[in-house]
Amino acid sequence: MIDFADVAMRLFENMYYLVSVILFVIGFHTMLTHSNLIKKVIGMNIMDTAIFLFFVSTGYVQGGVAPIIEPGVEQAYINPLPTALILTGIVVAVSVTAFALSLVVKIYEHYGTLDAEEIMRIRSTES
Amino acid sequence: MTFINVIHAHSTVLLIVSFLLFSFLMPILERWKNSWCATMAVAAHVLAFVFIGNLSWRVFTEGTIHYELGGWSPPWGIEFVVDYLALFMLITISTVSFLILIFGTVDLTHELKPKVLGLYYTLYLLLVGAMMGLAVTNDFFNMFVFMEIAAISACGIISVKSDRECVEASFKYLMLSAVGTGCVLLSVALLYMIGGHLNFAFAAVAIQDVAHIYPNNILVALALFSVGFIVKAALFPLHVWLPDAHSSAPSPSSAILSGLVIKIYTVVYLKLLYKVFPIELFDLLPVFDMILILSALSIFFGSIFAIVQEDIKRMLAFSSIAQIGYVFLGIGLANSTGLTGGLLHIFNHAMMKSMLFLSAGAIIYCTGIRKIDDLKGIGLKMPVVMGAFTIGAMAMVGIPTTNGFISKLYLALGTLDANKHFYLAIILISSFLNCLYYFPIVINAFFGESEEEDGEEEIQVKKLPLRMSVPLIILGAGCMIFGIFPKYILVIIERAVEMIL
Repeated sequence: MIDFADVAMRLFENMYYLVSVILFVIGFHTMLTHSNLIKKVIGMNIMDTAIFLFFVSTGYVQGGVAPIIEPGVEQAYINPLPTALILTGIVVAVSVTAFALSLVVKIYEHYGTLDAEEIMRIRSTES
Repeated sequence: MTFINVIHAHSTVLLIVSFLLFSFLMPILERWKNSWCATMAVAAHVLAFVFIGNLSWRVFTEGTIHYELGGWSPPWGIEFVVDYLALFMLITISTVSFLILIFGTVDLTHELKPKVLGLYYTLYLLLVGAMMGLAVTNDFFNMFVFMEIAAISACGIISVKSDRECVEASFKYLMLSAVGTGCVLLSVALLYMIGGHLNFAFAAVAIQDVAHIYPNNILVALALFSVGFIVKAALFPLHVWLPDAHSSAPSPSSAILSGLVIKIYTVVYLKLLYKVFPIELFDLLPVFDMILILSALSIFFGSIFAIVQEDIKRMLAFSSIAQIGYVFLGIGLANSTGLTGGLLHIFNHAMMKSMLFLSAGAIIYCTGIRKIDDLKGIGLKMPVVMGAFTIGAMAMVGIPTTNGFISKLYLALGTLDANKHFYLAIILISSFLNCLYYFPIVINAFFGESEEEDGEEEIQVKKLPLRMSVPLIILGAGCMIFGIFPKYILVIIERAVEMIL
């Protein structure tokens, strides 16, 4: 018999992970099922953000503060490494988004639509 | 002689830095001296040969090189490791991309608008640098960054032609590779969560220690890694981006994408499987069997799809899906003979597929023909190109005295060693299927008769420039030489396999 109260408590304690997984699935779903190209790019961004949230929360310590060490003060510090890494990750995600959006602009110039199914139809009637 | 000492001590990182430096010099050069761009790109490759020569000499005399970036020792800093596997990839990448570049200096002036020509070399050098980085890196996050650089520049060299097929194919590739890198980053997070290290070697030890406490984390991480790298390497069910991307890109781009880019991800995947994940995990989750099944499907369906294509470059793209299946087959067999075959096939396929794409590019350059049916009687008009194509086709099928035969032989022996006879049958069937779609082209080209016999619409054939024919001849000769004397490359591969297993 599963103790629901216990499970709920543990989920609540690990809320960051739960939320980031939910966000990941939302982003993934948006990206793969929507036919609008801009929505695909938005889905990619939500997915990336979910991963960043997940990565940053692995470095979080309950009650920790930013790791600026003052002499004589005993405190718990959070792990700064994931945060620093994700800064790079965000830069990468921004550049991928910029490139994707510029490709969307080009696609709109060529096909006159942003709908992936419409583009498929145009291509199949041509060839 | 401090200068030589600096090169000697830092050649690992200088190799990658020189590619990045030259690639960012290109936009400046493009405005100032447009005609120098191609020369500088070639110069970057020549410089890389110097560094790789130094590295291979050191690896053969002193053993594996561990390079600490910025002087920070491994658990904190980024580490580059050059072992035999990395060296093998470096040699493959530099040689093949150099030849493709020589071909491209002429072909690209024909395919691209003059104003993007200089920027093309930026993307090309970035891509080559990122691939070399992926080959030597020993750090999770560094790997992620190089993967993103490779993905963006690979999409860039597809969309640079900016006609409608290229842009759409490039967008599709970008979206799917974003899924791939997303999965990889998430699994890096899962492993960092329990191991607390980003260095491959330290993470492997840490994961080994905690594997029994958090088995689910490791399993999910392994699954996500597999999905990420299989998307990137275009194994069968996740190959949907490849045919469009590789067939619509300019020919040198297709050659480097098919020949090298999809291979480097299989090598990184191989490194992760054997170096990072604990061996007991594979009892829990039969990941090697899954790879075998996927590779068999990939070999079979890639060939089937290739048979029905009408466009020559699209056919070659589908053939790549079948050939990447062989490489994964080698990984999945997980014994030394099979793995040797798989790694050898990376080298061999890099040569033959880039040669085939380049000869397809040469055909398009000289005649403008893309349809397979229109190639009748073209062989005698362009003997060098169709000769190279014939050697490539023979190597693809695996006829003795070509290099394709050697790697298929090793894979076949590997299936027997592993007692998996079913996959031997797959290899044989696939060879017959390869015959079925390569030989009609060759036979038609040499013995087929043009339909317009009266000469009213005789195909206009441009003369092939020297810089396009020389790479084809070198690659063709390479296919034959490594088919007859495979031991020159097997020296490195056998040592690499010894270190992996």
